Amino acid sequence: MQAILSWQLLFAALVTGSIYVLVALGLNLVYGTMRLLNVAHGDMVMIGAYVSYWLFTLSGLSPLLSMLIAAALTAALGALAYVGLFRRLLANRQLVQRLEGNSLLLFFGISIVIQNLASLAFDSTPRAYQYLDRVVAIGNLGITENRLAALIVTGILSLVIVLFLRFHIYGLAIKALMQHREAATVVGIDVERVQILSFCIGFGVAGLAGALLSMMEQITPFMGFPFTIAAFVVVILGGLGNLLGGMAAGLLLGILETYGVALTSPSLRSVLIYGVFILVLLVRPQGLLGGKRVVR
Amino acid sequence: MTLLKLQSVSKTFGGLRALRDVSFEVASGEIVGIMGANGAGKTTLFSLIAGNATPSSGEIWFKGRRIDGSRPDQNCRAGIARTFQIVRPFAGLTVLENVMVAVLFGSSRERSRAKAAARAEEILHELGLEERKSQLAGSLTLSGQKRLEIARALATGPQLILLDEVMAGLTATEVNELLTAIRVIKQRRSLTIVIVEHVMQALMRLADRIVVLHHGEKIVEGLPAAIVEDERVIAAYLGSAS
Amino acid sequence: MIGRWTIPLIVALAAACGVPFVAGDYLIGVALSLAMWIALTESWILLSGLTGYVSLGHVVFYGLGAYVGILLWGEVGGVLAVGGAGLASGVFALAVGYPALRVRGPYFVMLTFGLAEFCKYIVIDVEAGLGQFSRLLLGGPSVLQLYYVVLGLAAAATALTFFVARSRLGYALRAIRENEEAAETVGVPVAFCKLAAFALSAIIPGMVGALMVARSSYFEPSQVFDPIVSFTIVTMAIIGGSDDARGPFLGAALLVLLSEILWARAPQVYMILLGILLIAFVLFAPGGITGRLLSRPVKVKP
Repeated sequence: MQAILSWQLLFAALVTGSIYVLVALGLNLVYGTMRLLNVAHGDMVMIGAYVSYWLFTLSGLSPLLSMLIAAALTAALGALAYVGLFRRLLANRQLVQRLEGNSLLLFFGISIVIQNLASLAFDSTPRAYQYLDRVVAIGNLGITENRLAALIVTGILSLVIVLFLRFHIYGLAIKALMQHREAATVVGIDVERVQILSFCIGFGVAGLAGALLSMMEQITPFMGFPFTIAAFVVVILGGLGNLLGGMAAGLLLGILETYGVALTSPSLRSVLIYGVFILVLLVRPQGLLGGKRVVR
Repeated sequence: MTLLKLQSVSKTFGGLRALRDVSFEVASGEIVGIMGANGAGKTTLFSLIAGNATPSSGEIWFKGRRIDGSRPDQNCRAGIARTFQIVRPFAGLTVLENVMVAVLFGSSRERSRAKAAARAEEILHELGLEERKSQLAGSLTLSGQKRLEIARALATGPQLILLDEVMAGLTATEVNELLTAIRVIKQRRSLTIVIVEHVMQALMRLADRIVVLHHGEKIVEGLPAAIVEDERVIAAYLGSAS
Repeated sequence: MIGRWTIPLIVALAAACGVPFVAGDYLIGVALSLAMWIALTESWILLSGLTGYVSLGHVVFYGLGAYVGILLWGEVGGVLAVGGAGLASGVFALAVGYPALRVRGPYFVMLTFGLAEFCKYIVIDVEAGLGQFSRLLLGGPSVLQLYYVVLGLAAAATALTFFVARSRLGYALRAIRENEEAAETVGVPVAFCKLAAFALSAIIPGMVGALMVARSSYFEPSQVFDPIVSFTIVTMAIIGGSDDARGPFLGAALLVLLSEILWARAPQVYMILLGILLIAFVLFAPGGITGRLLSRPVKVKP
């Protein structure tokens, strides 16, 4: 019982939660601006993790630097996916009619391709490396440096994104697109550009989260899907386009998962995550838009 | 004989009050028009009667049975049909299949598909759609889709039909044709009709009685001739009231 | 009414029955896989093709059937075990269908996926709790016997989907696919119809699951609940490109062929090709699954 009440566990929950916050943020952006259901989102986490893993193992580059490379690479992949596939999807009037369903299938295909390419390239053995794994003591709380670093980075990045969306002209454009697509075009927003930007930010942030994660956990080519699932839970719980809500929901899920596992057994982690996922979908069957829909 | 009765029906969505204490009755064989500006609650009213939504308070009675809270398919089988203001065809099915579904599952609950097809063809003929029966419903013109809405509603074999702006967006000629068609259909089946319409003249020509909604409340009810001269109606329409 | 399709189908069935007389063990195995995928994909089409409720978790019925099959086989014998597996999957579908089918569109897709994974981990945990990480089934039927039974199930699934699509229920299901509110408003009891389709689509996969455990004589939860199975079903149906019973043959044949060539040597390459096929068909085959495949009408024959 004492373990449950420890600061240690709370800290672990916060770290997990903060990673969820970042991953969900990107998902929220892409769904919010274009109504695309990115089930390949977690695979960007995986790619980011491998970028940092290889850069560290091969050249000793700190993941805290290589996370920028990881973010740049996944952002570029985002732009590529948008230009290569999703622009076409959004432009096709027939496909747009069932945009969410079609985008889900496309992203699912992409996810399968990415995972298996990664498995082909890196084989599927779990990999890990040691970086900043010294334990520092803060009061009677002993934590590894890499977790502390991850928490700080996610904190700063979340803040930057919130400020960007609140004050930067493109941030405002993204929010406008989320709230009212037609109106956004009328007031002269370059929708095309904002959409690419959403893809880049969304994918890039996920890649960065992956880089941070690689310091702390084992990575495999198939590690992404649980993050996709977690991100969907967070977005549904926190509300579409509601980034602060998403942050709260991300931390909540981190707490739920960490404490749930601590109270039961680590083998129940997946059951717990999928259980919450199912429950969230069942309770809010109107979907991500729940509660915001205008009824007449 | 009273066919439909609403008793102080209210509906709120979240904090928004779409309808407040609306009461009126519709007698068998009547045509009642519902008038009101955008957002007055007309479509909400239809959704409540058809069962697509449940009233927050109040009661709805149909043929002496209370129906608020029952499902749309139950209400349909009981004899209430509706059209949708924003048309909802089964776009990927043919025009004939659209109507057949209604015959198969409406109040007649037809078991035989051959009979259902025959019945559907008759109804399509009445609405001038028989030429288009093998076409996909999604490929019809707006006017065609509005007619299909009516055909599908009729095919359920209703006693009461709720027509929601079936003439909106049609040309003057199309409106006239549709008016005639509706009259003929009503005579032939001794239907009761409640109709929401923005095309004022159409409503005046068709309705026996008119109920005016404004911001979710019933402000007047009366004969068409009296309604057009009513000060409250004029004020509501010109926007000086409220 | 069945006309044009009856004869080719009967010929195909007769040819399928004749396979063991001319082919060796390897080809019988391939034919068994083909029959299995046709049975699964036909069942999927009964639900997802007709109602538009795209399931990305159809493996859950297969896996559940496999589990029930392995638990029962030693106790009550093969016939009852397979029957019990089908029954269990059907009952499971009825139980989860009511809440699950209230969830629409893409959220239903995600829900089905989540549900299948959820069940997978539950079974893994239960088995781990029992100290069982895998189970063996010894003394099961021969591949030849299995082939005929699964072929029978494939034929049954095809016939079921074919007749449901043309039945009164089929009209209701397609109306639901096109517009659920409108369907409800013209009198279709939508909740009941969806549930019926869900349960009907679950039974045969359950039976197939039990039989495939008998084939591999080996049960491991993460294998029989593998999401790749669901994914393959969906891809086969999309490639088949039709919303009725005729669809899966082409898709299943193509993917089984691909899998025979690649799976053993380069499973990742096979999966990558599957992903690319899915992307290409959604994007370039006009309308893809939710457009063309799901909204093409069945010809009316009054």
